[in-house]
Amino acid sequence: MNPFDFSGPDFLIFYVALCAVLIVGSVILRRKIESAPAPRIDLSDPLLIAYLRGGEAETMRVAAVSLVDRGLLTCSGTRLKNATHARPDSVRRPIEKELLRKFASSEEAASMFNDPKLKSMCKEYEQTLKKVGLLPDDYIARVRMVIFGSVGLLLGGIGIAKLIVALERGRTNVCFLIVLIIVAIVIAFRQLFPRLTESGQIMLEGVRELYSELRGRATLLHPGGATVEPMMLAAVFGVGALAGDGFAYTKTLFPRATHDSGHLSSGSSCGSSCGSSCGSSCGGGCGGGCGGCGS
Amino acid sequence: MGVLAAAAVEEGVVAVEADRFGLGWRPPLALEILSNLERIDVVEVIADDFFNASRSQRRALKTLAAQVPVTLHGVSLGLASSVAIDRRRLNLTARLCEEIRPLSWSEHLAFVRGGGIEIGHLAAPPRCDETIEGALKNLSLARTTVGVAPQVENIATLIDPPLSRYDEATWVSEIIRNSQSDLLLDLHNLHANATNFGFNPIDLISRIPPGRVRGIHLAGGKWVGKGDVRRVLDDHLHDVPDPVYALLEEIGARTEPGLTVILERDGDFPSIESLLNQVDRAREALARGRARALRREVAA
Repeated sequence: MNPFDFSGPDFLIFYVALCAVLIVGSVILRRKIESAPAPRIDLSDPLLIAYLRGGEAETMRVAAVSLVDRGLLTCSGTRLKNATHARPDSVRRPIEKELLRKFASSEEAASMFNDPKLKSMCKEYEQTLKKVGLLPDDYIARVRMVIFGSVGLLLGGIGIAKLIVALERGRTNVCFLIVLIIVAIVIAFRQLFPRLTESGQIMLEGVRELYSELRGRATLLHPGGATVEPMMLAAVFGVGALAGDGFAYTKTLFPRATHDSGHLSSGSSCGSSCGSSCGSSCGGGCGGGCGGCGS
Repeated sequence: MGVLAAAAVEEGVVAVEADRFGLGWRPPLALEILSNLERIDVVEVIADDFFNASRSQRRALKTLAAQVPVTLHGVSLGLASSVAIDRRRLNLTARLCEEIRPLSWSEHLAFVRGGGIEIGHLAAPPRCDETIEGALKNLSLARTTVGVAPQVENIATLIDPPLSRYDEATWVSEIIRNSQSDLLLDLHNLHANATNFGFNPIDLISRIPPGRVRGIHLAGGKWVGKGDVRRVLDDHLHDVPDPVYALLEEIGARTEPGLTVILERDGDFPSIESLLNQVDRAREALARGRARALRREVAA
């Protein structure tokens, strides 16, 4: 029973089954290779958790919101600017120092996502997470490539071989097969190259559960930087998890992030503009906050 | 007495590195606990909270156990009863211990069900031969199933259990002496019972072999009732009172290092600083006791 002799529809069924088996098998293999006992990391560092959850963009968002919450940055719609008394040396973390330098003059908040200096400040988080196996290091990247290469070769090879056989036999209705080959390889790629390792995914799930009680208290958290709880909430569940009037400015500042509410994995945000002003000083209660830009 | 130890006493330095101090894990304290791991050596997790936990909740527990040593504490086995313990719960405890690999696991010397009815409370059983025998059988089964004997905790009670033949000290020490389980001594429970029923708490402490006390619970409570029926209630909602620290010092003087001391607080949470100060006071109290024992040894 040579599958290359199957009729078109029969081969497509065979090929779909083969894709499913190979992709599921390779994902199981990847997960097994990337699984390890949970490492010890600093679970009290919101920026590290933010990086684990969403990479550079989320780290920058949480750092920026933290500075606004502490009154060191002021927001005006989608723009950020240093508070008059804010100095880079008044904060501890390198990324916060850089944010204060960047927003010495008013700029779109979204511009920070493309700032090379800010990106480089996120490297320490990336390195920390790579070192403990929560993000793929070079070894894991190579292993993934080998698995993907093998699966891709098999899926692509068998599909292309059938294409050649079909064309040699004078069949020209091969569009479905071509589409199927492409779709299979794309799915395999997406499944074999997630941002986090399996350990990272498990750690993130664990962290979300450990801090799930914070989410239940979201509306009770007060702005003003008195505690790190709001920042941890934003780090673990996304800026969109911040609730209450005191954090309403985040909805305008990072509309996409707040809309996606904690499920973002990366990417930029913002884009809309909101003309009126709502400084961080409004944190305590500017009513509608920047959400409506009305205060 | 070695030269170093004698010098340590001289300098007021006591080797207490083997003792561990920590807090009961409560979700509202998650961030505070994880932000203060330099002052917390261990956290105690309620095992029953994870019996029917989702996959992510179990992952959370594993994540926690990777950050800080964990002990598991059960509340629903009902060890001290002439009725056999619930096998299902015991198996779940065993599974959890296998997954988490805690420093130790513990349960109460209490009964929690009778005639098939769960009473939802850690009740003091009659202190008699039948409950000693039942507890020993249950402890043996627990040890066989889990692979490690549980530490057993003395409980607080507002009524002196009827049909008792023995006092608490005799009853508890009999169970400890005849089982392989060590004692998790809840000092507030001991303080409450001693206050409520007028006995000397040191009596119970002195009847337990020194090496068999391996864990300590600290908590607070409040006075309830009026007149002759006033009682200390162990509610875990108040700060640790001074007599409990005094008992801990006594424990330090009488037991071997390597204790795990857990502060239990179930609600009305004060600031984390206040809780950590209580943990620090516990460290100091135990260290004072250890120093006393060392001085006594030097003198001898």
